[in-house]
Amino acid sequence: MPVLVLSTSLVPAIVIFFLAEAQQRTRTLVNIAGALAKLALVAVMLDGVALGVAYETRLGLLPGLDLLLRVDALALLFLTLSAFLWLLTTIYAISYLGQGPHLSRFFGFFSLCVAATTGIALSGTLVTFFIFYELLTLSTWPLVVHQGDARSIAAGRRYLAYTLAGSAVLLLGIVWLESRTGPVEFTVRGSLAGVDAPTLQAVFCLLVAGLGVKTALVPLHGWLPAAMVAPAPVSALLHAVAVVKAGAFGIVRIIYDVYGTTLLHELSLGIPLAAVAAFTVIYGSARALQQDDIKRRLAFSTVSQVSYIVLGASLFGPYSTIGGLAHLVHQGLMKITLFFCAGALAERLHVHKVRELDGIGRTMPWTAAAFTVGALGMIGVPPIAGFVSKWYLGLGGVQAGHVWVVLVLAGSSLLNAGYFLPLIYRAWFVPGAMDRAPGRERPFWLIAPAVITALASLGVGALAGLAMSPLGWATLIVERNYTP
Amino acid sequence: MSRTGPLLLWLTFAGPLAMIAVAPLSRRPLRLLPWAAVPGLATALLAPLDIAMEQPAVLLGLHLRLDRMAAVFLAFGSLLWVLAGAYAQSYLAGSGHARSFAVFWLLTLAGLLGVVLAADVVTLYAAFSLMSLATFGLVIHDRTASARRAGLVYIVLAVLGEITLVAALMLAASGADSLLFADVSAAVARSPWSTAILAGLLVGFGIKVGLVPLHVWLPLAHPEAPTPASAVLSGVIVKAGIIGLMRLVPADGMPDAWTEMVVVLGVVTAYYGVLVGLTQTDAKAILAYSTLSQMGLLVAVLASGLAAKAAGTLDAVTLYASHHGLAKGALFLAIGVVAACGARWRGPVLVVTALAALAIAGLPLSGGAFAKLAIKDVAGAGATGTLVAVSAVGTALLMLRFLQVLSRAPGKPAETANWGLLVPWAAAAAAAFAVPVLWGPDLAGKPAAAAMSVHGLWTAAWPILFALAAAVFVLWRRWRIPLAIPRGDLVVLGETLLRRIGAGLGRLNARLARLFQRRRRWPAPSFDGLDTLEAALRRWNLAGPALVLVAALIAIALTI
Repeated sequence: MPVLVLSTSLVPAIVIFFLAEAQQRTRTLVNIAGALAKLALVAVMLDGVALGVAYETRLGLLPGLDLLLRVDALALLFLTLSAFLWLLTTIYAISYLGQGPHLSRFFGFFSLCVAATTGIALSGTLVTFFIFYELLTLSTWPLVVHQGDARSIAAGRRYLAYTLAGSAVLLLGIVWLESRTGPVEFTVRGSLAGVDAPTLQAVFCLLVAGLGVKTALVPLHGWLPAAMVAPAPVSALLHAVAVVKAGAFGIVRIIYDVYGTTLLHELSLGIPLAAVAAFTVIYGSARALQQDDIKRRLAFSTVSQVSYIVLGASLFGPYSTIGGLAHLVHQGLMKITLFFCAGALAERLHVHKVRELDGIGRTMPWTAAAFTVGALGMIGVPPIAGFVSKWYLGLGGVQAGHVWVVLVLAGSSLLNAGYFLPLIYRAWFVPGAMDRAPGRERPFWLIAPAVITALASLGVGALAGLAMSPLGWATLIVERNYTP
Repeated sequence: MSRTGPLLLWLTFAGPLAMIAVAPLSRRPLRLLPWAAVPGLATALLAPLDIAMEQPAVLLGLHLRLDRMAAVFLAFGSLLWVLAGAYAQSYLAGSGHARSFAVFWLLTLAGLLGVVLAADVVTLYAAFSLMSLATFGLVIHDRTASARRAGLVYIVLAVLGEITLVAALMLAASGADSLLFADVSAAVARSPWSTAILAGLLVGFGIKVGLVPLHVWLPLAHPEAPTPASAVLSGVIVKAGIIGLMRLVPADGMPDAWTEMVVVLGVVTAYYGVLVGLTQTDAKAILAYSTLSQMGLLVAVLASGLAAKAAGTLDAVTLYASHHGLAKGALFLAIGVVAACGARWRGPVLVVTALAALAIAGLPLSGGAFAKLAIKDVAGAGATGTLVAVSAVGTALLMLRFLQVLSRAPGKPAETANWGLLVPWAAAAAAAFAVPVLWGPDLAGKPAAAAMSVHGLWTAAWPILFALAAAVFVLWRRWRIPLAIPRGDLVVLGETLLRRIGAGLGRLNARLARLFQRRRRWPAPSFDGLDTLEAALRRWNLAGPALVLVAALIAIALTI
């Protein structure tokens, strides 16, 4: 089963590479078919895992080194998000890029990128994780530089410099750790028992620093705002599904499945990480406030929001973990909405700066409405998803004895309101400088994905009490795996 | 009734929510407005008390409950909303942004209904923020520069309030067994962060209520919003803060110092509102100051009543709030009526308005007298009681000032009458008179006879007589109010301060930018080696197959 899921993106990737540029119809068909097949498989597995079935595939990679693909509840959380958003992003990208050049290259890497993300979600060992993590790094780069102009290349270079350095540090950490313990599997507990504390502390720092690059923890976040020169679907994927989420997911794996909270507590490593995450939350929001470019503002917002996940994971309380895991999905839904909208605005109205948003509520009402939902959700206005994760994070913080978390969340909400509300205000309450012609909201599939994800972020918040909501699923993960 | 009860609660919401979907598509969206609150009114009047509804799937578990407090707030809130909605049809006929008004009106209403019916903190918070944010659309409706300024002040305070509130609720809920009010409020009392939680609740709800110095949005927002919106704003929305406080502040276990502080804040607000209100020249601004003064009074009474464990504190506050809501709503509506009707109507309109205005000060035999009697019982005979009693003089003076300004307002030619405005206004005024008299005995636990007794009549009458005498004296001596305090008083100071801080931050930012620019000139790390690699990778016909090779390798690995 895991191999099948992986191949739903890997096969389209390979097929698309061999397609000629003009075979647009075939390319679209392969893309969509792959995404739909994946979604169907994920649905089957969701049902299975909820009932307690475990899917596992173990393949020998090298002697003594296994490639382990395993589906557990946490993997499915990430997998479901990526499968759902991949489908929408593909649809969006097809409309967004239209007839542009190098589309086979683009969609090939696009699928490869999602295959890597799938692999990251399914990885059952540290080494497997690292392989897919690297594949992700490499397959994202052509997407970042897709436009091929000087700015893109510069951003791509910065991206590579950051992420390759991060990967090197991560690899160092993994090798150091495994040289002491042998291959580390995520589900096997207590494999770190024999290692001395200073080594464990040093390795933890290396692992988190390596993963922190993709997670965009301050001060390792520099590549993310630069990478926003990429086409909107890429930014959407980068920010909501693939890259930053892979880092955050990795940190969650390290904390809960490699070290375990008890050990980390003994090593007193949780609070420093939480402090870094909290600083990132505030710093990202404060920087977002200063940005005039919409996509840059969104990028800094991502820096801030992704650290919620790390914050939730590093506090070790059940509620904060639930909040952090739910935010993995919630942030993805809301942020992808915002990027879809930003892309549609740039494409249809050439709106790039905040001040150009005046009156777009009249010209592109659906887009503006979706953007509003996403932005309000980021601020934490109920019943949109962001509120639910913030609520759990805050409660978890207090329960773990860290009341300052509430202050960090409040400060971040305030800053979020500071940089999102003016956008909403301009869109709806300031008349546009020029009377733009109506009928800009075309093609349908450029606008629909944003509306769908906006509805989804509204839905997962408003119906958070359901067992299959992200919150319900995160609760299941914590109850099953992380409750002592 | 067990089936229909929850259904009625659903319908109360579903009404306005369904209309929100219809309003943007409707050609005459204003026609929806009077009907939006009708299900709420029906529920309040027809449904039995204590029906409840639970939807565990919605949010973190949605709990609605119609207890006595909720029923009273729902009844007078919906009634005023129906009347103001009818009024809005005529008032806004032919003006722009009708759809926007309808949507925000319905959203605000849905939020308010949620605040009234909520039985758990998350539902309360969700509804409260919906109401707060949607009100922005009503405040800014005219889109003039002054409306935008009022909107800005409003939204800044509203967001601050929301965030303080949610922080306080997080602290409170973390120690509670469930999110239901009873559990959370018990957790507040025993939490180690009790003081912080209470302060958060006070700020979060106090901004809505208009506690000094968080009141500055009220006198700006009320004059800018269209009149029917001002009516519901002052009549109902500010009371959402009172509801919140009544639901969550624990009945006992509050530190004494805290109670004292809240009482002082409330009393200061009550008197401050009167003093600044008297200097105003705009009828709506005067009413806004009167509203915050009255709300301060209620907060003081609530805090002292809870601390003294006075029986019926919540009932008395609810009764007072309901009377004030209807009467203040009627007064706001009167402003539009006077402006739209001719001289022939002015006399009767002013007489009825004067009665409604003085009822707020406790005019004998009016609904207001019952309400005043109820809160005086709760406030007791101590310093708070005296201050509450004396504040009626201030209220009466402020109301006389309002009547003076209103009577000078320009009208229309003699015979003009706008029935679309007159009828809802008259109904609101009549309700303000009748409703507390009907409910009063129920809620205040006092027979009507107490209000009718000679002592009761005198207690109600002297502040008004005193104020009348003072007003006549002032007019006779031709005294003028010596200073003109700008609308929103402290906000002007605040804006100046913020401008200074903003300029300072701008300078700091520029300096930082220079610093960073200087850093930019440091030699950039060289990527020569990477450049070559990159140049090669840039041609995808090299990188693509390379990656396909990687993929193929993995595929081969998988098949082994």
